[in-house]
Amino acid sequence: MTMTTQEHPVQSADVLIIGAGFAGLGMAIRLKQAGIHNIIILERGTQVGGTWRDNQYPGAACDIPSNLYSYSFAPNPDWSRSYSGSAEILEYIHSMVRDFELHPFIQFEKNVAGIEFDEQHGLWHATTDKGERYSARATVLASGPLSNCSLPNIPGINDYQGKKIHSARWDHAYDLSGKKVAVVGTGASAVQIIPELVQQVDHLTVFQRTPGWVLPRVDLATPEWNKALFRTLPGAQYMTRQALYGVHEAMALALIWRSPLTAVAERVALMHLRHQVKDRWMRRQLTPDFRIGCKRVLMTNDYYPALQQPNCKLITWPIVQMTPKGIRSVEGIEHQFDCVVFATGFDVGKAGAPFSVKGLNGRDLDDEWQIGAQAYKSISVSGYPNLFLTFGPNSGPGHNSALVYMESQLDYAVKGIQKILQADLLALDVNASAQSAFNRNIQKRLAKTNWNSGCKSWYLTDDGFNATMYPGFATEYLAQMSQFKEKDYHLVQAG
Amino acid sequence: MALIDLDKMLEKIKSTQWALADFDWDAPGVDRITPEQWPKLKEFMADLMWIEHVGARGFAAMAKKAPTDTLRQIYRYFHAEEQRHANAEMALMKRWGMLEGDDIPEPNVNLRLVIEWLDRYADEMPYYVLGTVIPMLEVALDGALCKFLLDTVDDPLCHDVFKRINDDESRHLGVGFTVMEMQGHSASYIKAVQMMGPLIDPRLMLGILSYLPLLNKMRDNIVALGLPEEKLYDAMKKFERIGGRTEDGRRNPWYQIISRHGRIMVNRNNRFYHAPVDALVRVTGKIPTAMLPKVPSWVKELTYQPTA
Repeated sequence: MTMTTQEHPVQSADVLIIGAGFAGLGMAIRLKQAGIHNIIILERGTQVGGTWRDNQYPGAACDIPSNLYSYSFAPNPDWSRSYSGSAEILEYIHSMVRDFELHPFIQFEKNVAGIEFDEQHGLWHATTDKGERYSARATVLASGPLSNCSLPNIPGINDYQGKKIHSARWDHAYDLSGKKVAVVGTGASAVQIIPELVQQVDHLTVFQRTPGWVLPRVDLATPEWNKALFRTLPGAQYMTRQALYGVHEAMALALIWRSPLTAVAERVALMHLRHQVKDRWMRRQLTPDFRIGCKRVLMTNDYYPALQQPNCKLITWPIVQMTPKGIRSVEGIEHQFDCVVFATGFDVGKAGAPFSVKGLNGRDLDDEWQIGAQAYKSISVSGYPNLFLTFGPNSGPGHNSALVYMESQLDYAVKGIQKILQADLLALDVNASAQSAFNRNIQKRLAKTNWNSGCKSWYLTDDGFNATMYPGFATEYLAQMSQFKEKDYHLVQAG
Repeated sequence: MALIDLDKMLEKIKSTQWALADFDWDAPGVDRITPEQWPKLKEFMADLMWIEHVGARGFAAMAKKAPTDTLRQIYRYFHAEEQRHANAEMALMKRWGMLEGDDIPEPNVNLRLVIEWLDRYADEMPYYVLGTVIPMLEVALDGALCKFLLDTVDDPLCHDVFKRINDDESRHLGVGFTVMEMQGHSASYIKAVQMMGPLIDPRLMLGILSYLPLLNKMRDNIVALGLPEEKLYDAMKKFERIGGRTEDGRRNPWYQIISRHGRIMVNRNNRFYHAPVDALVRVTGKIPTAMLPKVPSWVKELTYQPTA
């Protein structure tokens, strides 16, 4: 340990939460509601909000209806539209901090460098990059799977002299008007950015590698009477949420597994494409050659029209390299730009956390997960007692709201933490056998899903291992998370 | 011919890319085009450029159908590389003063018919049909014409450009013949019959009706340029020689069809074949441009500008 670290006194808590995004804040709320108040939340930024604080690019919005993309324990009757923009979602997150009085728990600009389990005392020790030290009986890794940007592996990316912007780190001070701009990527962020940029810039070039399936989106402004109804009759909002949940659950049949509904969903997407794009060659370029659901399904009405604006060009040639002035593609042309926007997604946390996590006997989570991340019910990892993950391995939904899944994870973690504190446990460690049995079953089920049907996506490692998605209905996931099976854990009593 | 390791080939393709901006299009040598050859060269280059573009569209169709991800990626690159060749050839035409303003050269009617067919039906053609026709087109038209050009034109920049183009083409042919052999491997009787099935597909018949006069038309162009047509025939024989080098290659029924057609095509004494096909060239040559459908938008992506 360095001199610097010794200058910092150790701050202790019952629960250490790393990350003040949706997951971290939700965790704190559920712990408070369970009567656990000795909490510290460490946030590396200067504001709460996580992904929604970072993703403030033009057009940023959620692709799950807001009434479902919110916590059931923190309903918001005032959503302005069916699918809210990022600013409104961020404001919702801020309102949770206010309403549940979370500010006293949050420490900003605390970038955790590593955490380590102390077996003897049953404590997790955390150290920040500035040497600040923390210890806690339990730790919740709420750093989020989408916390780190991913730049594509394009040769010469550092040679480019123009402006570079990643969608998740938007530079609002940079004026795009009158500029020649490229967007690299055509995924979920890109299809939201492109319709906005095409209105601002002089010329927009979109580099597509793989076209995605695009479904139309019914995005309506919420009338005032609707907001008043939800305010006065919260049960009405609950029913709306349940109806939306049911509709999305049904979509699992189309998107997760191949079924007659998969063909229906593909037909709807192709009709949407045919309706919006008249040119045959462009339609061909925009038609996916993999099964719907294999990659994230895009929902937008504005993307195809934007691509056909006179100041927009779609390029599907493979990219060769970046040069000081732009991007060379295989057709031999150097496309020159003032600014290149990378809508290339995130460095999805296959490693569990963006810092070192050391469990029993010095074992290292990053090392152990090199061959594929594994956890028990996506939340506990054998050998890492008293640690709870939010959005751990195989917890990703392909058809329903991430917050529904997250809520069940928070409630599961509360049960585990309550057990540790009430029974005064040194360690609550999931059995390795329970973990491997769980994962054998998950991988067997995943083999039959659309995600594992042959396309390349951020859900899969380079070797094709799917450590990201949950192969079932949200209802199934919620059911598994509602049971805390103590027999699957090894409990070590203090003293 | 030993089968190529396609994964290594993909890596090689990725690591040997070039761009129009790599050349100095104002370099000396323009004056080496003689006034006599200029008009014929203009027509020849326009056809060549369009043949590259036709090849590009063929590879685009194959990229959708290839059986492995590696091959899909390879064809995706080949599609773009053929476009690059067409762009580079247009840039040479621009350098030689053969393009007016930003206009792109008009394809001849036979090429227009092939373009039209490709636009409508290429994506629906079986992989093994495209996988055999495209190497033939590459050998007979693309490869051969490039060689003739270099025998005729002294401009050093043209030679530099075609050195890169020929390097690409040799990789295209290497993959093309490998795929033909892979398709012939273990071709049982039933599989062979299945592979021949598309012959009765009217869409393929239309394709053949556009392909045959195109070959004869190119022969006419070569003769017009003052080159011996035997060179085209030698190139076509190359397809039979390389494609039929192994038993697997010979077992591919489409290789057998295409190579036999090549044999007939190079026999100028076969009036039974050449009379009707030459007539087709004459008839198609009389189709008024206004009667042809609008060119597909992929045609408009061609450019002679090294930067955009």
